[in-house]
Amino acid sequence: MFEADEELVGRVVRHLRRPVTVDSALDERVMEQIAHLPAHRGGGTARAAWRWLTRARTVRLSPLGALAIAAAFVVVALSRPDRFYRAAPASAREFGFVVVAPRAATVSLVGDFNDWDAARTPMQRARRDASVWTAVIPLTPGRYRYAFLVDGVSWVADPAAPVARDDEFGTPSSVVTVGGS
Amino acid sequence: MGIDSVGTSDAEVVRRVLAGDTGAYAALVARYRDRLARYAVHMLGNREDAEEALQDAFVRAYRSLERCDDAARFGAWLYGILVNRCRTTGARAAKRGRVFVRDDAALNGVAHASAAEQTEGEDVVRWALARLTPEYREAFLLKHVEDLEYEEMARLTGAGVSALKMRVKRAREQLQVILREAERV
Repeated sequence: MFEADEELVGRVVRHLRRPVTVDSALDERVMEQIAHLPAHRGGGTARAAWRWLTRARTVRLSPLGALAIAAAFVVVALSRPDRFYRAAPASAREFGFVVVAPRAATVSLVGDFNDWDAARTPMQRARRDASVWTAVIPLTPGRYRYAFLVDGVSWVADPAAPVARDDEFGTPSSVVTVGGS
Repeated sequence: MGIDSVGTSDAEVVRRVLAGDTGAYAALVARYRDRLARYAVHMLGNREDAEEALQDAFVRAYRSLERCDDAARFGAWLYGILVNRCRTTGARAAKRGRVFVRDDAALNGVAHASAAEQTEGEDVVRWALARLTPEYREAFLLKHVEDLEYEEMARLTGAGVSALKMRVKRAREQLQVILREAERV
């Protein structure tokens, strides 16, 4: 069926490049779903201005100027530390998650709190032990199911937490319950 | 108010949606639905998961539309969301042990040049693709099927260009081995 290697890969690509069509009902489902979301309110111009203001730029500073700016940041940060944390609901508490994964290249924390989106909460290697991965996130009171996604493919429940019995996919994830203050 | 899904630029449609015209978003869905479906179906191996990922990507894109820095490149931005969703959906599917089963509905959804070509070759290609690791499959599809430049792939996946080149190379090598084995069976 297949000849030389290049021709073989070429055949694979030709098969895969054929158009795939999906049911146009998908459009309706998408539009129905977003109909229940808040409409955007014309923030385009303001957003564009904000992006222009906050766009990364290269700034040349003399060593003395850089030192002065750094000192100013330190003074402001020390005087108003709350300004330098990401805004979170008043009832939110910071929760640390830890998993040991010595051979992992990447680990993400996924759960009800981030729509199980692996891109939203990548975990960081601990400074003292590269096999330990950590993440700290604010959580409001509630019950959350979560798991660790290792290298984008392996789901690992937290061995130090209760198992979620109602996992919709039939395999255990973990549960953290955040109480009110 | 209706919108011409062919003649209106992405940037113009995005501007209208951000101005409150939610219905205009339908043009973007119609424009990118089939284009993105091909990647999702091949990446996830079955139509059900692909449609779920696709629908979710469109909804997420709508919710985050204000964060699309360059409306003219909405398609590339949306593609990045889908790539992430496919990773998560694929991992979930693997977790529940149902990824890459043969899916007749997905096969029937493919527009074939001729009925004769639908049979063995197509099945073997899908089977071989399913045997690649998700990282290799992702890189192979983005490079050879979606025809993206490595720099664009790097932006979408977060991986470095060198790593992506290696993944594509390994994917090609593994596909060759797998398909040669299939020939001998």
